Amino acid sequence: MTEAITTVKPERAEALLAEIGQERAREMLEVMWTIRAFEEKAKELYALGKIHGTMHLSIGQEASAVGTSYALRPGYDYLLNHHRGHGHVIAWGRGNNIKPTMAEFMGKQTGFCRGRGGSMHIADVESNNLGANGIVGGGIPIAVGVGLSIKLRRTDQVCIVMFGDGAANEGAFHESLNMASIWDLPIIYYCENNQYAMSMSVERAFNIERISQRACAYGIEGFTFDGNDVLAAYDAVSRAVERARAGEGPTLLEAVTYRWEGHSKSDRQAYRTREEVKAWQAKDPIPRFGERLMQAGLLTQDEFNAVRDAAYQKIEDAVAYAENSPEPDVANIMDGVYA
Amino acid sequence: MAKEIIMPKFGFTQEESTIVAWLKQEGDRVEKGEPIAECTTDKVNMEIEAPEDGILGGIRYPAGATVPVTEIIAYVLQEGETLPEASAAAAPAAPAAEAVPAAPPRDDADAGEAGATPLARRIAEAEGVDLSAVVGTGAGGKVTREDVERYVAAMRTAEPADGKVRATPAARRAAREQGLDLAAIAGSGPRGRVQEADVLAAAEAQAAAAPAPVAGPVPTSAPQPAVPVAAPVGEPQVIPLEGMRRTIAQRMQQSYQQAPHVSFTLDVDMTKAIAFREYANQRIPEGQPRISMTALIIKAVAWALRQHPMVNSYLIRDEILVMPDVNVGMAVALEDGLIVPVIRNADRKGLVQIGQEVVDLSRRARSGELRPEEVADGTFTVSNLGMFGIDRFTAIINPPQVGILAVGRIAKRFVPGENDEPVAKPLMTVTLVTDHRVIDGAQSAQFVATLRDALEEPASILL
Amino acid sequence: MLETTTTATRELTYAEAIREAIRQAMEQDERVFLLGEDVGVYGGAFGVSAGLIDQFGEERIRDTPISEAAIAGACIGAALTGMRPIGEIQFMDFVTLSMEQLVLQAAKLRFMFGGKATVPFVLRMPGGAGTGAAAQHSESLENWFVHVPGLKVVMPSNAYDAKGLLLAAIDDDNPVIFIEHKLLYKTKAHVPEEMYRIPLSQTNIARQGTDLTVVATSLMVQRALQAADILAEDGIEIEVVDPRTLNPLDDQPIFESVKKTGKVLIVHEAVGTGGYGGEIAARIAASEAFDYLDAPIRRLTGLDIPIPYNRTLEYHTVPQVENIVAEARKLVKGEY
Repeated sequence: MTEAITTVKPERAEALLAEIGQERAREMLEVMWTIRAFEEKAKELYALGKIHGTMHLSIGQEASAVGTSYALRPGYDYLLNHHRGHGHVIAWGRGNNIKPTMAEFMGKQTGFCRGRGGSMHIADVESNNLGANGIVGGGIPIAVGVGLSIKLRRTDQVCIVMFGDGAANEGAFHESLNMASIWDLPIIYYCENNQYAMSMSVERAFNIERISQRACAYGIEGFTFDGNDVLAAYDAVSRAVERARAGEGPTLLEAVTYRWEGHSKSDRQAYRTREEVKAWQAKDPIPRFGERLMQAGLLTQDEFNAVRDAAYQKIEDAVAYAENSPEPDVANIMDGVYA
Repeated sequence: MAKEIIMPKFGFTQEESTIVAWLKQEGDRVEKGEPIAECTTDKVNMEIEAPEDGILGGIRYPAGATVPVTEIIAYVLQEGETLPEASAAAAPAAPAAEAVPAAPPRDDADAGEAGATPLARRIAEAEGVDLSAVVGTGAGGKVTREDVERYVAAMRTAEPADGKVRATPAARRAAREQGLDLAAIAGSGPRGRVQEADVLAAAEAQAAAAPAPVAGPVPTSAPQPAVPVAAPVGEPQVIPLEGMRRTIAQRMQQSYQQAPHVSFTLDVDMTKAIAFREYANQRIPEGQPRISMTALIIKAVAWALRQHPMVNSYLIRDEILVMPDVNVGMAVALEDGLIVPVIRNADRKGLVQIGQEVVDLSRRARSGELRPEEVADGTFTVSNLGMFGIDRFTAIINPPQVGILAVGRIAKRFVPGENDEPVAKPLMTVTLVTDHRVIDGAQSAQFVATLRDALEEPASILL
Repeated sequence: MLETTTTATRELTYAEAIREAIRQAMEQDERVFLLGEDVGVYGGAFGVSAGLIDQFGEERIRDTPISEAAIAGACIGAALTGMRPIGEIQFMDFVTLSMEQLVLQAAKLRFMFGGKATVPFVLRMPGGAGTGAAAQHSESLENWFVHVPGLKVVMPSNAYDAKGLLLAAIDDDNPVIFIEHKLLYKTKAHVPEEMYRIPLSQTNIARQGTDLTVVATSLMVQRALQAADILAEDGIEIEVVDPRTLNPLDDQPIFESVKKTGKVLIVHEAVGTGGYGGEIAARIAASEAFDYLDAPIRRLTGLDIPIPYNRTLEYHTVPQVENIVAEARKLVKGEY
């Protein structure tokens, strides 16, 4: 396992924090806690049988979600998400969309997708969250279309598409990056490299060191950074956004991170050691960001705890909301196939 | 060479004929063209002629026998000739439906050993069947029409019959609509499948068929034969079974099939009834309609129904409803049907009133002016065909009624007098038909006896 | 053939009619643009988009690399975000490389998102055999798409229908798979200049008749009409029914026709097994038309083989006019 090659230097961190501001920074911390609380609760509810199907938890990847979304303008810019994207959904909504998210997990009518999508397909089209995808790399070609649409309409919107290390080996990945590159589309290709596709480690699946190296194949910028550093994510995405808005085309970003949980609920994780997991857990991105804020004098320990507690409470409220929400009416089963 | 004499076909739809009498006997000399027997069909008598000079022999059917057309009934032999190999009388073939001339051409030249009937030959030719391949079940192994048809049907059937009818959905629907049994219809489709056209043709054939009874399924697959020798009789007039005719047909069939009809006949001495009617009519003012015998009979019937209430009931599903009112229906013949207007409460009306109603209802029945309520609620029906010269007949009950009275003509007949001397009396034969589900024999007998008493002593009704 | 004879009519080829539809739609609506392989400078592999780049420029008539998955994805993404793209797949055979995007994304996004997303685009592609292009350039895969709820499938059989159906497809808010037949590109018909639309999911009675219903798609409609003229000389009048939109299907006119004639022959070029004819046959058998069937429902389809290269073999692989005539005769004569 390789060390992340780029993390934010202290001076840069200071500058970034100044740019972000105390209020937003605290908000970011709260959103990270919200994501963590949400994922833990989802795991618990699944074990209790209150959520069915499967789910792909992103515990440990909160920094990547929050850092990126705060460098973008949700509701204006576009998000194409992947199946391990609960964090991105929550971050995109600034933590204010827990209820419809939880309701969708429970398949209720009040969920984002009226119970038709489930955890893998959550979308909030109104806020330009164009949906999570159950197909690895499924959103990558769609991003081309979104970028093309932005370009034809001549706005300064940007599209970020999330995918994992495994998706970078799909054929569609290459077609899409190529097409985005020839037309200079305003797309951020954001690869969350959490070291494993399902059970296949990146060492075994790639003949190159860094996924971002593939950028040169398409003549675009590529950059790898520590995905568990909120500010590093924020920084990398901000730069990519600038490039996109300046008409300089797409960027391939690689956020090095780690998922604490197995691929899905049915993963017994025979492909990695407990020690490895524990080593990454010791580098929990949430306390890491909290400490940074405290070091910068933007937060106290008590406030850190209060933010955490508030986040967990918010989740409890959302669960109650979702549980009390109605099931979809079978009489409407054919709805939504055709416009 | 023995010459066959076959039962000739005279009519287009004629299927069989009854031998009325042999005019010549076994062994008689006959001349070509000489009538040798008389036969009848559909109330038409025809003569059968000897086809050749010779000796009449081998008579196979006695007088009174009903023989299918084209069957051999006898032979004309020459001196010293013997009859062809004797064989048991062949089962009558299914009746044919196409035009066959009175004296069909016969050509034994290309037949099998025993030959084939002319009809069989014609069908075989039309179907492209090699006669020598067909097993004959006729006299001496002769191939009959039935044999050829069986052969053709067998050729068409690819698999052994499994008892199920092969028919297209359209054919099934048509059969449902026409009320026909699919199993009785020959199919012209592949492997004998019944097509819609087959069903429609069967329905048409049934509507146009002569009253002569059909022995088997109405043949629709039999092809038209080659040009007959005699001039063809032309096309049948097709009358679709619809409207009143259809209604009568359905109701008559239903009644006849569902109610066990039992008939009771007796002769009524109408001497006093005739006298009474005369008396009554003398008292009717000029210009008013006279009381008919039917009116008197209806009055008597109404009175008898009061004495025997069970005969005045309805059978509806599982219940016998003994009706409180006596409403006597009177069958009136129409041009192409019949209708039964009702004289309500006939037991309570005087004869004059009944007489007027009879005249009025009959007139309006014939001119189609009856109102619906005038043909409703009848509890018993009287049908009088005396004016047509009928001596006696039986009628079909009009459901849900349980009885009907068929009245014949009044005619003078000789009956034994006091000293067994012949005395001429005006007698009228009435036939009561009752539904044995409701009325037993004794009851029926009592009713009709009551009626007879009323008619033979009209004054007794006053009591 | 739908040749018209009056001098006042305006005849366009099928390809020209499609081009006109694209042009008029793009003139009317900025959101409409065309992308695909060789559609720009080259004018399209079958010349359909010839000249359009001169009028609209390379932004809106956009050549793409050979990337069918990305082409489909581009259509989806653009449609999701307010555009109304027309994508072109150069040969229907290549749409197999777009299948994930079309089946798992385009068809399902709206439904999966609770009805809250709209994906309006048209993906055009030429299909069919008869040009000697052999097995990988002659496919008829329409039934694959019929089988995916969320997609609409349209197959125009003549130039007039092609323009009207394409304009309607562009207006439609759903992803529409628009399948053109290579051998139809040069056929002509009267095509009005104005922007007329033929509604999707509206079956057309291309020819009225009484003796037999022939349901046909795409090129087979033309062949059925030719067969109809031959059969009419013998007094056999067939009714030719063209669904035009295969899914969602307007099936009621088919049932009415079968009720009228009692016999039906379904003709399509695609392979018989698992083909669209099975869908039509099952619907007829389950409808009120069942009671009016006087013969088995018959299908006349492509053979269950890949399209062969040899011209004679290719000819005998798909239904030709004489095959339709022969089958029709057999059905009408009651031989089935």
